[in-house]
Amino acid sequence: MLGSTTMRIRFAALALGALLLAGCATTPSGPTSVPRPRREVLPNGLVLITREHRAADVVALQLWVRVGGRDESPSELGLSHYLEHMLFKGTPTRPPGSIDVLIEGEGGTSNAFTSYDYTHYDVVVPSRGLRTAVDLLADMGVNASFPPAEIEGEKAVVFEEMRLVQDDPDKFAARRLGELAYSPHPYGRPILGTPEGIQALTREPLQRYYKKFYVPRNMALVVVGAVSHADVRAAVDATFGTLPGGEVTRAIPPPPPALTGGRRVDVPRPEQQATLAMGWRAASANEADTYAVDLLTYILGDSPSSRLNQAVRERDRLVFSIESNYVPSQLGGLVSVSARMDPGNLERAEAAIREVIRRVRDQGVTEAERERALITAESHYAFDIETAEGLARVLGQGETTTSLEAELRYLDRLRGVTTAEIQAMARKYLGDDYARVRFVPGPAPAGERR
Amino acid sequence: MIRAGTLALAAALLLLAAAPAPAQAPRIERLDNGMTVIVRENPLAPVVALSLLVRVGTTWERPEQAGISNFMHALMVKGTTKRSGAQLAEEIAAMGGKISAAGDSDFSEIKSSALARFWRPLLGLTAELATSPQLAAGEVAGERDWLLSRIQRRRDNPRARAFDELYAALYGAHPYALPSLGTAAALPRIDHAALVQHYRTYYRPERMILSVSGQVPGDEVLAEARKLFGGLPRGGGAADPTPPTPPPSARRLVIEQPAQQTQIVAGSLAPSLDHPDHAAVKVLSTVLGGGMAGRLFAELRDRRGLAYAATSFYEPVPGPGALVLYLGTAPENAAKAEDGLRQEIQRIRTERVSDSELARAKNYLLGRYEMDRATNERQAWYLGFYTLAGVGADHPARYRRAVEAVTGVDVLRAAQTYLATITTVVLEPPKPR
Repeated sequence: MLGSTTMRIRFAALALGALLLAGCATTPSGPTSVPRPRREVLPNGLVLITREHRAADVVALQLWVRVGGRDESPSELGLSHYLEHMLFKGTPTRPPGSIDVLIEGEGGTSNAFTSYDYTHYDVVVPSRGLRTAVDLLADMGVNASFPPAEIEGEKAVVFEEMRLVQDDPDKFAARRLGELAYSPHPYGRPILGTPEGIQALTREPLQRYYKKFYVPRNMALVVVGAVSHADVRAAVDATFGTLPGGEVTRAIPPPPPALTGGRRVDVPRPEQQATLAMGWRAASANEADTYAVDLLTYILGDSPSSRLNQAVRERDRLVFSIESNYVPSQLGGLVSVSARMDPGNLERAEAAIREVIRRVRDQGVTEAERERALITAESHYAFDIETAEGLARVLGQGETTTSLEAELRYLDRLRGVTTAEIQAMARKYLGDDYARVRFVPGPAPAGERR
Repeated sequence: MIRAGTLALAAALLLLAAAPAPAQAPRIERLDNGMTVIVRENPLAPVVALSLLVRVGTTWERPEQAGISNFMHALMVKGTTKRSGAQLAEEIAAMGGKISAAGDSDFSEIKSSALARFWRPLLGLTAELATSPQLAAGEVAGERDWLLSRIQRRRDNPRARAFDELYAALYGAHPYALPSLGTAAALPRIDHAALVQHYRTYYRPERMILSVSGQVPGDEVLAEARKLFGGLPRGGGAADPTPPTPPPSARRLVIEQPAQQTQIVAGSLAPSLDHPDHAAVKVLSTVLGGGMAGRLFAELRDRRGLAYAATSFYEPVPGPGALVLYLGTAPENAAKAEDGLRQEIQRIRTERVSDSELARAKNYLLGRYEMDRATNERQAWYLGFYTLAGVGADHPARYRRAVEAVTGVDVLRAAQTYLATITTVVLEPPKPR
């Protein structure tokens, strides 16, 4: 409910692959073998993924729905995110406010996230609360009641969320960069909608959008924790299992336009420091290039030992912080570099970043860098699986963004990437055509709130 | 290397599927030189986390050298007598790890983590950083600039600034008033010699607690820790200060800062971690602002739409604590939101909380506590912190019992005692002229 877009670095999310596969390879059969996450499709089309995980006596349940900002028509901007809020506002049998009381009364927590490609609802409860939580998610998933007073009341909350993002230069720069790099593709639209659109929002389009996308055939339920598959399946059969499957066809918009010639925006901001965000269009989640682009992004700017950190921050002292990120997304990926600095360094920092990238294009990366990036991938996964909710998120994102099977093979595929392929990715994607957002200290133009 | 990693992780997954609650009780050892070492074997995931806590932080600082502990740690991670900062970064990255160091109020921490199979080199690098940092004079100016940039960034962040202003107002002459990053006025006065002296004074074994949690062999970790740290000589005691008790004060400060949101932060002095009222105030804080069913969220955000963020904080600290209520709201709603906040304070000081609300708060509080301790990094920190604070590494079980025993009368009494005098900071955008 608090989050909107999740901009996870893909590497962390997808690194589990070969791990689970390796488990199978070393113990291929028999009662002692490591169970892969179990994936079943119910007769109504709901995908159920389960995995035992006993780090704590809790269970994480995540309902992933294949709907997000990209599914909105221009007149529906912000509906995916607004729905995310409204699902917690009650059903015919659960009055407003009671859902939070129920979850927290069990000693649990809840949250939800909307991205351009998917929306997910997360609950973590002590494992004794499994049945209650499954029942709740099934009810929220198809029976949300949208009380008119709650729709009106939530508008103020969403306006606050818009302000909150604007006050955070890092988040706001990432958002502005996405809008600049993708426009007019749906990925370039504001995920929270516009103030005018939200102000005018009524119950009818909200409910229509909900009925269109929130059907079991368009959902994946991921359950990870100190529970058995049999218990989960029984709870799911008695709830989700009784629902009609429905049908959903997701429209595929035309691909995002190329950034030929580059795109540039300077934004006046109240902070004393400047922010520079640069974005290059790159492979989408289902393309083979995604593996090499992941490694390239890590080598460029993931850690203190990365090239951008060592050159632009440590050697040249041009920036206070710098990092690179890769969000593949389903319909077109984006590699970004973002940095904070004294405003006087903006030009030199951008030139230094371009120089670091040029060197990778011209000279490639070392085998040691490639190996470090692989270890980092493995490490991200290992830390992700420390908690039930971390593992659930990895599985849910894999299922809805690519496929669970692709996810399970991920690390193996990554290992097959050569240094030459990493260099080729830099040549293919990180050229001179990029989007650039700069936050520069200064007053907002007259008559405008930033 | 890679292949070995795969097998190690596969083994970890085997363990994942095994029986619940496999983590061992922590083993605690006091070395001859006074240093404490704690190891918790946790086979669940193939990772390891280290926390080295040292008794030095803002509690030992004066306003004119505020931030020296954090500054010293920023300098420490720039390299050791054996390797440069870049080498250190590369070696850590090759373990799939990370390492960082920072000052806090009652302690400073070097924390590190990596894939579990690298626990030995990780411990070695962490020890090297702690016992033989380069503390190079040539790095001081650059690190100072970087820290000043972080201070500016914090000042530019409306929420962070509002909290800093509140703590300054609430704690007055007590060192908890000082930000651990320091101040823009103090950092330029801290030179290389002062940083080296600070290190020599406080980096002493009897002031250090090393905690390790992860998929590690406990015996071997203890032996390695003895080898790496056992030779450090005792320091002979840097004097620990006795900070003045901050007097409660009812103040309201309004600060202008350009932003989209208005920040409202209201706080009062509260009990320390070892105080008998600690659990009751934790429950009080949770009733008011814990989760989405907490009163601030349910009433001010959900019912009245007056705020986006609506929460409360009461962190465990060895010294005087602070109970802080926080709202982030639209400027046009700020007056109503602040009024609503005061009504909630008044209500909880006069009406006993219902049994069901009390049960929700206690379940939520304890559930969150369990989840917060699910990772090895947090486990390592908690073990070290509870030892440092003097309540013992076995504190969680006692804390749980204390929370379960809290009654509605206890919450009412805690509210009357600790929410009597409120300091408020309102950080708002300049009004149009």
